Parts: sequence; C-alpha cells; structure tokens
Amino acid sequence: MSISGTSLGRRQFLAASAGAALAATALPGCAASVDDGSSGGGSGSGKTTTLTVMSTDDEKKVFQAAGKALGIKINFVGNDATKLNAMLAAKNPPDIVRGLGATDTPYFAARGLMADLDPYFAKSSVLKASDIDPVNDVWRFDGEKQGAGPRYGMAKDWSQDQMLWYRTDMFEAAKLDPLSETEPLSYDELLDLGRELTKRRLGKVKVYGLSSSGLGTFTQLMGMTASAGGSLFAEDLLTVDFSSPEALKALQWYLEYAQADIGPNVANPNPDGWDWPTFQAGRMAIASDGYWFGGAIGGDAKVAKVSRFAPAAQLGSNRISPCFGATGYWIPKDSKNKDAAWKLFEAYFGGKPAEDRAAGGWGIPSLKSLRSKMPQDTAFQKQAFKVQEEELKHFSVLTFTPYTQLTALDAVINKVLPKAIKGKTSAGKVADQLNSLMNEQIAKGKEALG
Amino acid sequence: MSTGQLTDQAAGTGTSATSPSRPPAKTPRRPAPLRIRRARAFYVFTVPWVIGFLALTAFPLGYALWLSFTNADGLSPNTRFVGLENYREVFSDPETMDSLWRTGVFTAITVPLGILAGLLLAVLVNQPIRARGVFRTLLYLPAVVPPVGAALTFKLIFDRDSGAANGFLDVFNVNGVSWLVDPYARWVLIMLTMWTVGNGMIISLAGLQDIPRELLEAARVDGASPWQSFSRITLPLLSPVIFFQVVTGIIGSLQTFAPLLMSLSPTPAGVTGVPESNYFFMIHVFAQYFANGRYGYASALLWVLFAIICVVTFLIFKLSKGAVFYSVEPEQAKSKPRTIGDAR
Repeated sequence: MSISGTSLGRRQFLAASAGAALAATALPGCAASVDDGSSGGGSGSGKTTTLTVMSTDDEKKVFQAAGKALGIKINFVGNDATKLNAMLAAKNPPDIVRGLGATDTPYFAARGLMADLDPYFAKSSVLKASDIDPVNDVWRFDGEKQGAGPRYGMAKDWSQDQMLWYRTDMFEAAKLDPLSETEPLSYDELLDLGRELTKRRLGKVKVYGLSSSGLGTFTQLMGMTASAGGSLFAEDLLTVDFSSPEALKALQWYLEYAQADIGPNVANPNPDGWDWPTFQAGRMAIASDGYWFGGAIGGDAKVAKVSRFAPAAQLGSNRISPCFGATGYWIPKDSKNKDAAWKLFEAYFGGKPAEDRAAGGWGIPSLKSLRSKMPQDTAFQKQAFKVQEEELKHFSVLTFTPYTQLTALDAVINKVLPKAIKGKTSAGKVADQLNSLMNEQIAKGKEALG
Repeated sequence: MSTGQLTDQAAGTGTSATSPSRPPAKTPRRPAPLRIRRARAFYVFTVPWVIGFLALTAFPLGYALWLSFTNADGLSPNTRFVGLENYREVFSDPETMDSLWRTGVFTAITVPLGILAGLLLAVLVNQPIRARGVFRTLLYLPAVVPPVGAALTFKLIFDRDSGAANGFLDVFNVNGVSWLVDPYARWVLIMLTMWTVGNGMIISLAGLQDIPRELLEAARVDGASPWQSFSRITLPLLSPVIFFQVVTGIIGSLQTFAPLLMSLSPTPAGVTGVPESNYFFMIHVFAQYFANGRYGYASALLWVLFAIICVVTFLIFKLSKGAVFYSVEPEQAKSKPRTIGDAR
C-alpha cells in the first residue's frame, strides 16, 4: 500500500523496522567493542575504564573495592553459565570470568576462548612464578593435557576435594575412634563408618552417616579410579572407560554407597545442594569436602568445636588427593580490556583481597607466600591446618577432557545411575551404558571442535 | 521523474518547470487527509512492537533455524553445515521421543484438570456466600507467588528427610516417601502445577459473571434443574472462555520449565538432576543447549516443538468447531470495524 508521497508505505515501514531491529541487535555488540582505555586501567587517558566481571554475588564488593583502588569501574554480572556461553558466542565476553580451573580450562582453552596470560605473568612483580602454588597448573593446557602449556587463569584458593570433615560428637555417641590425621581410610572402611553413623526412622534418614558427593559424581569417580591406579579418561582424552578394573571398583563402591542410603546421592540428592546446612544441623556425620568447608565451619563456634579434618580416603594403593575445583578467574581472549583486566587480576590475586581470603579459611591460598596467613587460632583450625599441610604431599593434577563439559558427563551419570541403584543393575552393565553415552557425547564435542 | 513527483509538484507547490526563478506562492498548509493521519498514527504506535518482534522474535527464530542445520556448540570455531542431520536425530533419538511423550502425558493430565478445577472453584466463589471476596483472594493468592518461590516451597515440603509431608506421615507412624525422585516426582510436579489453578478460576469467574442472569432465571422458571441450567446454559456460554484456556494451557504446558525449578538449581548443572519422569521436552532442549553444548541439535528441537505447537493449535481450532458458542459470531468481526473518527 502506498498511501501517498508524504506517508510511509507498508513495505517501507517494514523495511525501516527491520533495519532498526537489526541495528538494535547489533548495537550492544558495537557498544561493547568501544575501547575506552584498554591500555590504561586507570584514569590516565581521562576516561574511566569499565571492566565487566562475571562472578558470584559474594565477590561483588571485593571486585568493586579493588577496582576503585585502581580507578576502574566494575560492571558486575552474576555468575551464570548460560549467559557466559551467550556472551562468548557473541564475542562480547566479560573481561574477567569466574570458573572451575580443573574442569573448565581444557574446554574453553581448546576452543581458543581464553587469553594466554603467560606474557602478563612474565612481567608481573606481584604474581611471581616461584610463588605460584602448583595447583594453578590446572589452569594450564597445552592442547593435549592439563598441567603444561600456557597459563590461562589462576585459582583464587583451592582444596583437595576428597578429604573428610567429621563430627566428633557423633563419633563419640557411636563409640567410634576419631580418624587418623595422616593415614587415609580405605573406601570400604569409610562405607562401614557411614553405615554405623546413619540413623533412621520410618524409612527416613534422620542422620546421614556419610556424604560422598563432594563436587559431583563424575569427578568423584575420576578421583577414586585414580587412587586405585587407573584412569577414567583414555590418554587422548577422547573416550572414558568405566570397564577397567579400577573404574569398575569405583563404580561398584558408589552403587553400594547409594543403595545403602546413608547419604545424599544421585538417586536421593541433597535438597540444599551442598553439605553445610545438613552438617551444621547435626544431621551429617562425615562430609567429603575439601579444606574450604572449614570456612563455613569457622563461622559457627559450636560446630567448630566438634569438627575435625581427615585425609582423603583411598580406593587402592596409589595415594592421591586431587583438586576438582581450583575455582578462580580467567580473562577471555575477546576481552576488549585485557591490560586493565590484568591489573585487576593482579590486585585480586596478589593484593589485599588475596590476604583476606587466605585468612578467611575458605581454601588454601594459591600463592605459597600467603599460606602462613591461613587461620590457626582455634583448635579446629590448628588441626585442619596440620592435616592439610600433610595432605599437600599427595596432590596431583587429573586431566579433564577438552571435548565436553563436566555437566554433560554428570548428566549421563544422573540418567543412568538412579535406575541402576533402584534396579540393582550390575556395575558391569552400568559401566557399559556410561561408556556408550559418554563416549558418544565426547565424540560429538570432538567433531564440533574439529 | 515519476508521475507521483509530477503530481506533487502540480498539486502541492503550484510551480511549473517553465518558471524556475519565481518563488513558490505560499498557500495555507492543508491538513493531511484523515486516512493518512490514521495510517501514520497506526505506524507510530506499532513501530516499537514491530521492532521488538523483528529483533527479539523473528531474528532469533531465523538464527535458530540456521543453527539447526549446523553442528554448532556455540563456542567451537569449526561450525559445519550438517543439512537435515539434526532433524533426523530428533526423530530417531529415543530420549527426545520419550521426553515428548512425557510432555504430552503431562499436558493431557494437567490441562483438563486445571480447567476443571478452576471452573469448579469459579462456580463456588460465584455463589452468593458470606466473605466471598476473601475466598476469591485466598484461592487466587497462590497464583501470584512467583514460580521459583512456589517450587522452592514444594521442595522443602516434599523433602524426604526433613520435609513437612513426611513429617505429617511420621505422626501416624507411616514410612516416609521419596517424593522428589521417581516415581513420585511427577505427582509432586502436577500438584505444583495445580497450585496456580487460581489463574483459571479468575478467567472462568469473569466468564460466569458475563452470563446474563435473565437466562438462568428464565430456565429456573421453566423448571430446569441446577444441573440442566449449568449444562445447557452456563457451559455453552462459557465455551469460548474454556476454549481460550485449552489453547493457552496446551501451549504453556508443552513449553513448561517447571521441573527445572524443582531441581537442585535452574542451571546447566541443575538440569542434570531432573528426575526422569519430569524430564520434559523443554528440559531436554535446555540440557542440549547448556549442559551438552549442542546448539545445533537443540535449535532443531525447538523448531520441531514450534511446528508441533502450530499443528496442535490448528487441530484444536478445527476440532472445536461446533463446540464453542460465541454470543457474537466471530465472522462478524471480519466486517470492517468501526474506528474513532469514522464519519458514520
């Protein structure tokens, strides 16, 4: 319809709307690409640099204070994996991103999404190579394995995630001896302890004897298999193998644990999503969580009084105590403000925020020089520190595949295991199912990666 | 020079090509014809929506369509065109078909149940009873609670070891039930869906109040029983309202995300913990996008769902002919509507 020369026709109107819509879609990307002083980090150019930081809400004030000291404005975005994926796909990522070094690094690095921080580390007078804890090697990836190659990020703090926290009051009530501070339990012993400590009434578990979930089932099975001397991943990281004797042993143990119904598991997940509320309420005797859990315990004097730390249990003779998180931060390759981001990164990892974190007890500092700041005021803190120092000797890096994300593998576990737990399927059959579904998933990831 | 331009020059300016130096004579500006003004107003008011539609609906739809023909994972550099491979996988993947079947069953249960319960409550609170307003408010309140809040509350109530539901059973020495895992999780989800039945109640109540009293009174005078009045007068006159609820209910139910809200957390990690009986189509889509990083396949799933919704809606419209009675025939709406400024 052409109304007249002075009015807008329907076609013109639709064309103009489409143009405006495209502009509206493209503008955010253009706006983000405006470099407002990337070489600075301060206000030298007369403009204030704005950095987008994606992290959890508890870190918002920390970053804002660090940014203020550097003259950098912080645009804070809450941690959200879906949003991060969208921002990365749109090549408009945050400048600093929170992530799990142990499992995120291979996936993002292999896709060329992480900035190589080696040149920055080489020049830094704050973060010196000799001071960086070896755990930060999980943030390195050479294209084939973790622990080598460029450094893509750094852990804010870390823990050996299969260590054990237990409540002495419950052990005393059950007339059980406290756990050794140096010698690890075997997984069979741990299962027996869990059974003894569990209290039930009318089909409900009133007190969980043992929570074995930690940071997820796949990583737990990965650590158990390694402690039995095997490996879930093939050397080329293109397949998993749950059928090896070591992996089968780990799987068998987990099925027994879940069928015994002595703690949260994939068939009966903890509604809180983590162990602390249940542990604090006196409804959990042993929690398989790393040193970081002590941060929560330290906030409750009553629970601190009855809490003790113990080494990670072992499935075999290959004593290891891995870290599955090494939660920290990385700078995306497409960040428009890498230099300023590095300044903030340095301040966060080497400045006051790092000292405060070390003293907070929520993890082992990722700089060796800060280790002396770990809390040792109360009896529980002293004991935890002593046990942790001893356990450090057994730390090792377990390489994760770059071809898929941990969530995809945990999804397979959550699909297969609940049926197996209820149906009492044999570990061998479960292993075959896991192999088939996970390897298919990894193959698709490999195909997309090229 | 186009005819239009010539016409403009002749009619608007009064100048001619033979006298370029003469300044145009100023004539009082005539207001644009009403039809043009109305058209302008129409475009001015609709342009924000059209831009929003193009940027936030048409563009994403088109982009998702393109993705559906690739093996994109959103992040990898080597995205490849795979043709109809993703669509072939949609129809051969048992997990997809199972999730679609579960969604269909859930829809078949919750939509009629929700409409029936809403209608029943509407009939009840339409009675001339004391404190009717209070009852209406109380019954509608749960629908106002944000879905996330309602889901969290349900999780706490139905937790196996510390939830109120098992606490209640405990009083009677009855064994606790694992409500939030299979096979009970589906029923908890249906209860959660029914929790918002107040929405349907309000719509049905509005429909009930629109029914002329005289019709019901005439029926009563003629000796009709309450059931006869309800089934012969109320229900037929409510049929457009019920039809509306059927259509929107089915579309909403096919797209439901409620199971994700009841999982550990509405995140890619949380989606992996959704019990199998609540693993619906949209949960599968979310898992494919964000847990498995299969953007291409997930986009194909979404387009298939879009097609299913279109077909289902078309069938409902076709099948409802003769079952829905409008007090004003919809055909009448096809005639030219009267608008403001109409000279008639």
